[in-house]
Amino acid sequence: MVIVNHSDNDEFEAYINCYLEMRQWRDKHIHKVWENPIALNQFHDMLIKTTVQKAIEKVESELGPAPAHFAFFIMGSGGRSEQSIWSDQDHGIIFAGNEGFKSYFLRMGEEISNGLSVVGYELCDGKVMSSNPKWCNSVASWEQQISNWLNEASWESLRYFSTFFDSRVLIGEDGFLLRLKERAFNHLRKDPYLYIRLFENIRHMKKGLGILGQFLPDSFGKETRCINMKEVIFFPYINSLRLLSLKEGIFTPSTLARFQQLPNRYNTIKKYQVDFEKLLHLRLYFKKHSKSYEDVHLLNVDYLAKSEKQELKQIMKHGYRLFNETKHIINKGCSS
Amino acid sequence: MDATVLMDNLWVIIGTILVFFMLGGFILLEAGSTRMKNAGHIAGKTIFTAGIGALVFWAVGYGFIYGEGNAFIGLSNFFYGDASTVEEGLAPAVDFMFQMMFALVSLTIAFGGFAERAKLSAYVIFAILFSAFVYPVVAHWIWGGGWLGEHGKQDFAGSTVVHLTGAMAALAATMILKPRIGKYNKDGSANNIAGHNQVFTALGVLVLWVGWFGFNAGSTFGVADAFFGFVALNTQLAAGAGAVAAMFIAWVVTGKADIPTTLNGALAGLVAITASCGFVEPWAAVVIGLVGGLMVFYSMKLFDKAKIDDPIFALSVHGTVGVWGTLSNGLFAVPALSTDIDWGQAGLFYGGGFTQLGVQAMGVAASGVYAFVVSYIILKVMNAVMGGIRVTEEEEIIGLDLSEHGSYGYPESMPKHKEKAGV
Repeated sequence: MVIVNHSDNDEFEAYINCYLEMRQWRDKHIHKVWENPIALNQFHDMLIKTTVQKAIEKVESELGPAPAHFAFFIMGSGGRSEQSIWSDQDHGIIFAGNEGFKSYFLRMGEEISNGLSVVGYELCDGKVMSSNPKWCNSVASWEQQISNWLNEASWESLRYFSTFFDSRVLIGEDGFLLRLKERAFNHLRKDPYLYIRLFENIRHMKKGLGILGQFLPDSFGKETRCINMKEVIFFPYINSLRLLSLKEGIFTPSTLARFQQLPNRYNTIKKYQVDFEKLLHLRLYFKKHSKSYEDVHLLNVDYLAKSEKQELKQIMKHGYRLFNETKHIINKGCSS
Repeated sequence: MDATVLMDNLWVIIGTILVFFMLGGFILLEAGSTRMKNAGHIAGKTIFTAGIGALVFWAVGYGFIYGEGNAFIGLSNFFYGDASTVEEGLAPAVDFMFQMMFALVSLTIAFGGFAERAKLSAYVIFAILFSAFVYPVVAHWIWGGGWLGEHGKQDFAGSTVVHLTGAMAALAATMILKPRIGKYNKDGSANNIAGHNQVFTALGVLVLWVGWFGFNAGSTFGVADAFFGFVALNTQLAAGAGAVAAMFIAWVVTGKADIPTTLNGALAGLVAITASCGFVEPWAAVVIGLVGGLMVFYSMKLFDKAKIDDPIFALSVHGTVGVWGTLSNGLFAVPALSTDIDWGQAGLFYGGGFTQLGVQAMGVAASGVYAFVVSYIILKVMNAVMGGIRVTEEEEIIGLDLSEHGSYGYPESMPKHKEKAGV
């Protein structure tokens, strides 16, 4: 791990040791919660929060206290409280005041990314991290960026927006994020066609079941005979509920909470909640001994018992049904 | 010369040119199915091995097949040079040229097993030995008056003689050369080493498909009753069915209509119908092609699983399906095109019982075993004498274009490799 801009080597060592200790603590204790999705995510939250606080302390010791109020928020599976044993980083910073403070918070984002990486959260391939200027902005810049994403409505900009929307504040001012989401809801209400564009953005899904009802695992490489649970099984649920939450103005990022907060007229959708709950448990049951983030999503179908295969197939079929029903709701309710 | 005889000769020479043009199809197919760093090598070796094959066939190959001899091998007509004309049938040189093209196609199929890792010198030596001692023997047994032909084996255009023989040599080569670097992981799983250009591969298949009309329809050896049209019809139907079946099964099983599999399906249909194109009804040609297309998909998977690295799927397309094609004759041959014209027996589904099927099976087994064993011995000896028939690890990594020929087929697209200074 390389941390740049260090003048005080002892201090650097102290923090690295601190992060490493947290990593050791993680490895030692995670087995206590690795069968329970809620407890596991509370564990992750606590670990991330502590790491981020350490990183903030370190930056404050270098550059002085933060020049403005800010919110550190997490996205992706962390934002949705759906992390598995291993997870990568997806986070951002919103700060009050002007863009002149950006360099301070970017340095903070950089320290947070490095710290989380040592503690066991892989750096995000897509650079959705508060060390990236795109994900570290003042409130005003964030408002402008979200408006731009929705106005542009390109595949890439809507993918950014979807990523942003599965978010919650872990440290700092909750209100900053709520304000941004509120603005997004207002924008979408004025232009319902965007719901269709957002659906188009998630329409492609990697197939997991063939027309004969068989699993469609990968054929080559180290993923031979494996299905990617995240892409194949989770996405239909996550993407559907995100889209419906956008339509209904639901702030919470958790897929389960989204199910619960949908209005009663979505009863046909709500019945899939039980499948998603089962899926969260099954994933931990199958993958609690995973050794890396690379491996945590891969499920070798050859090692499943017959009943497990059937249960998983049922969840997958229900996920596809949920996705189709969502498509119908969006097309019916949002066509101009 | 009678006009009909002249037309017969003209038709066969057209067939000859079409079959020779199939080598162009192989160039595109093989180049497209392999990596960019080997493209020039794959393309170029087809040309010079065709040259070697032609010379060997002229010197001894034709004589071993069609010369006066015994049930095992012909022993005359070496260094062929009959310039005589004829009053009926084919002029000797026309027949010779047509037969030579089949030998060249079989040789090219065999080299499928060499792809991306064999030394250039291995191609040279094996081209000579295969063209002299492997292909001609099997061809003599079935087409040259040898013991399998006398048993009544039916192979209209060469499912066994050309395709299976070539494929068995490819199998021997593949086993001795071992998989390419990076094909298999430590945990035993296979990687997909994708070819660099599916457009080339598709175009190669189309060229082969066109050439196959010379291969099959040309094997009527004449224009009488325009029977070649019927043979061409069966050929077309089987190829189409093979492509459709392979694409369908790939889509059903993997969820993706994989292009290389679809292309191999078309070739499988062509290989499958080659033995039966003049013996079966069109509906049977469709069935034969369909089964060929399905088989090629599973065969490709099977070889991968068995850790037999077959870069251009020669073993599946020409071997597995070559066997099916030959056996299908024993199932679907109709009396009107076999028993009634004194050309073997009808198939199992046409009241011929198991007789023809048995003959076909024996032919496949004998020819396959011979081609494999002799090729294996030849390659083993070559391996020992030549200090290995595989290029070094470094040569394989930088590509055979550079290591064997000194320049890349795509020079602008390749990284610069500096020669190491000698120590």
